[in-house]
Amino acid sequence: MTGLLEDGVGPSPAVRQETLIELRELVVDYVLSGRRVRAVDHVNLDVGKGEIVGLAGESGCGKSTIANAVMQLLRAPAQVTSGQVLFHGEDLTKLSTEQLRKFRWRNVSMVFQSAMNSLNPLMRVGDQFVDMMKAHERISKNDALARAADLMETVGMDRSHVRSYPHELSGGMRQRTIVAMALTLEPELLIMDEPTTALDVVVQREILQQVQDLQRELGFAVLFITHDLSLLVEFSDRIAIMYAGEIVESAPSDELFRRPLHPYTVGLMNSFPPLSGPLERIVGIAGAPPDLAKPPSGCRFHPRCVHCDPSSHALYARQTTERPVLREVEPGHFVACHLLDTP
Amino acid sequence: MSAVAVAPDRTLDVQGLSKNFPVPGASLLHRQMLRAVDDVTFTLKQGTVTALVGESGSGKSTVARLISRLYTPTGGSILYRGVNVGAMHGKHQLLEYRSRVQMIFQDPFSSLNPVKRVDYHVSRPLLIHKIVPKADVLDRVHELLDSVGLVPAEEIAKKYPHELSGGQRQRVAIARALAVEPEVILADEPTSMLDVSIRLGILNLILDLKRDRNIAFLYVTHDLASARYVADEVLVMYAGQIVEHGPTDDVLQRPMHPYTKLLLSAVPNPEAGLHSHRLAARPKTDLAVDLVGCRFAERCPLAVASCISDPPVLLERRSHHLVRCPIIDPST
Amino acid sequence: MSQIQPLDSVNVPAPTVEVARLRGPERERAGRRRLRVPGWLRLLLGNPKSRGGIIVLSAIIILAVIAPWIAHANPNDFSLIDSRQSPSFHHLFGTTDQGSDIFSQVMWGARSSLIIGAAAALLATVLATTLGILAAYSGGVVDDVINLITSVFLVIPTIPLLIVVSSYMHSRSGVTMVLILGLTLWGFEARILRGQALALRNRDFILSAKVAGEGTWRIIFSEFVPNMISRIAAAFVLVFYIAILTDAGLEFLGLGDMSHASWGVTMYWAQVNSSFLQGEWWPFLFPGLALALTVAALVFILAGVDEVSNPRLRKDRKRGVIRSLFVGGRGARAALDAKDPA
Repeated sequence: MTGLLEDGVGPSPAVRQETLIELRELVVDYVLSGRRVRAVDHVNLDVGKGEIVGLAGESGCGKSTIANAVMQLLRAPAQVTSGQVLFHGEDLTKLSTEQLRKFRWRNVSMVFQSAMNSLNPLMRVGDQFVDMMKAHERISKNDALARAADLMETVGMDRSHVRSYPHELSGGMRQRTIVAMALTLEPELLIMDEPTTALDVVVQREILQQVQDLQRELGFAVLFITHDLSLLVEFSDRIAIMYAGEIVESAPSDELFRRPLHPYTVGLMNSFPPLSGPLERIVGIAGAPPDLAKPPSGCRFHPRCVHCDPSSHALYARQTTERPVLREVEPGHFVACHLLDTP
Repeated sequence: MSAVAVAPDRTLDVQGLSKNFPVPGASLLHRQMLRAVDDVTFTLKQGTVTALVGESGSGKSTVARLISRLYTPTGGSILYRGVNVGAMHGKHQLLEYRSRVQMIFQDPFSSLNPVKRVDYHVSRPLLIHKIVPKADVLDRVHELLDSVGLVPAEEIAKKYPHELSGGQRQRVAIARALAVEPEVILADEPTSMLDVSIRLGILNLILDLKRDRNIAFLYVTHDLASARYVADEVLVMYAGQIVEHGPTDDVLQRPMHPYTKLLLSAVPNPEAGLHSHRLAARPKTDLAVDLVGCRFAERCPLAVASCISDPPVLLERRSHHLVRCPIIDPST
Repeated sequence: MSQIQPLDSVNVPAPTVEVARLRGPERERAGRRRLRVPGWLRLLLGNPKSRGGIIVLSAIIILAVIAPWIAHANPNDFSLIDSRQSPSFHHLFGTTDQGSDIFSQVMWGARSSLIIGAAAALLATVLATTLGILAAYSGGVVDDVINLITSVFLVIPTIPLLIVVSSYMHSRSGVTMVLILGLTLWGFEARILRGQALALRNRDFILSAKVAGEGTWRIIFSEFVPNMISRIAAAFVLVFYIAILTDAGLEFLGLGDMSHASWGVTMYWAQVNSSFLQGEWWPFLFPGLALALTVAALVFILAGVDEVSNPRLRKDRKRGVIRSLFVGGRGARAALDAKDPA
């Protein structure tokens, strides 16, 4: 019904690669005191081998929930109500705790926004690497430490920092450390959830450059989650835009940048003042992201959409009652919008 | 405050401002000082927006807090209409200053008291400074809320902060600042914690206020693009010092200082080309506390030996465009 | 990124709606309309521990209030005929060696204990709150001075001080007790409240208030206190029951006002007259039980208050009321919830 891929339509063959992660009609609810808040609503998303997929959206759109769902890290009150998370075709929700433990970090690993959430403040950084490696494979402490030092080098840090405590490192260094940790077991997919939001622009670019270099070298896929659309346009192959728990548009990055179709995407792109070129007054998007406990009826973006006008009766009726369906309007370019549904 | 003959548009003068903080955890005997702000000089003029741009740790927020008297300067002075702010001790004088210089904070979630309603927040300055008679306070509150785009004002006035979105809370903070009819507003990263689509609303509001009420804004940010959008003048700070200072277009389109160039190249700018370009600088190491020479030298691709030994001075190298770097060529 | 137009090959109506004004999002007011029960009371009643505590304490308070009507006998009656009687219909709790009705003594004693406890708690809490927050907010010399004073008072042990003061003072009135209890018990709470205030001190709304020109005292009472209410309430309950216990303890040692009816005094006389050795258990049991019940009730209420102030201690109780709670200030918890899960 909602956000469904049309039957028989998938990514065009040119874009399809061997698919690593498939989210099929994923629905995640937060159940609090009897009330159900739908954070992720029938989302379909694919990440191919070696592909860099960006997931953009503002606060409350559900993107972090998706990241946690892929890693199977969702805790009560969040629950996967329906849908599947497939990894190489295998349903992750069916795995046992032990299998999941092996799966995490080895096949898919994650970098969080705040490194201090991932690093134990009481242990030296090197020791944390060792712990992690020993949990997944048989390796001696010395070998593990040597590996850790190598990894620190690959993310642009001095080998000697293996002996540092987290608080002795700057914010940028800590973030690099957790990127190194995430790549220790050479996973096939690296999920980055707002990895650089708290960092300065210069450090952000350095870290992302590093990740790009490593990605080219090691060939892992990346799911990059952020609210900064301009960053995604530069770094990802494909971008999916989320709004209020649904994917409203998805396309290769340069296609999305040149021809955004969904009014929300257009609005988002118009929310970034330009650094070069003519300077004129621009308007973002009026209103605020909706309360997921009581989302707007019909198209969830309609209260903020400049193309939603009560005077165009038929269209307005559809916009306020019917949920738009994600359709491929150009090869590889999917949009969920009534305006593009030729009746 | 006694009136001093001062050019009418020079509202707030900051001269040679410095602030040292003790390094946390240092022993009592060797009290190490961190120079958070070092010799900062600029002027805020009415009806203009001055952007203070820098990364975290550059000292930009500290400058704003020094001007708002949340910190006391270690050196230098702040002059409000020619009167030294640091010399203001009387309660009356202080209160008057606070009615002229207001501040907006970064975090919309913590800048409002969670247990008080919006009308309380906006009415307090009115009552403290006796801007309007008590009977008229509520009306004025509604007017203020209206003027920042929060409608219907009567409904919003009765809400608690947690019932509002981040952008709305920031607008309440702005309304509160406007209540005293200030001449200067210090905005400390007002949009960095807001959703992208909401930021422009606040930026446009700042532009409107600047134009309609002739307010002098200090806009502290790490986001160059938003600085370009709102500011008339840009100051770039690095490690507590101003490294470049000039009109917005000059600084951002024709930057001179290597750090400014680094910042500009690091900002994601898909329009300039869809391929990311590499940074030409070495990664930052821990900042030494008592550097003599240029603080950017360790990361600067152009650094020479004299950069480390001789402290660079802020000089006007092009018309109205100052830079703290002796080795660059202003004509390029 | 500059203005980008949508596809013109699609028949898109030109934007006509002026979506310029912002409206407040609708948030529901959770259940506060049905009954006029304040959020905090609802929460305490929701927690089984504090619910029990509140019920027991309320019962004791009610009994204390209606004492004149249910305990007809004068607690200080002297009647040899009636003395040493075990509990009976006529004397529900029995009589003392002097023939006084223990039931009356316990009922009237409740008044004494509760009033002294509450008054001491009030004094201590006011001192702790004011000085603790002032120290945290002012910092510098003021902080140092207050810390010094707090340390001095912390070092003073309550009972020895009371013993010394009691022996000097001629009047051992309730007021003296309250003063001394209050003055010796405010110290450690002041430290705790100062700690919490330190955490709040750099929150932007405190800084905003300062920049707006609010005076120090106004900031302390209007900005800090409402956000620390649950911790202050906990401090109050804590000192309350410690005061009751200490008061009873002193009277039991014979250092209180021996002429008025109170639980400690009853037990003192029982001790002095070696009642227990003579098989008379009732002069001990009933006052002791009353004391134990009161203190236990307060301890349970304190557990409930602690859960209110520290959400992590809360077990997930499925109640819609959680949104409108009173955690260190109305709405603060909802504010935390408003930082959405996604």
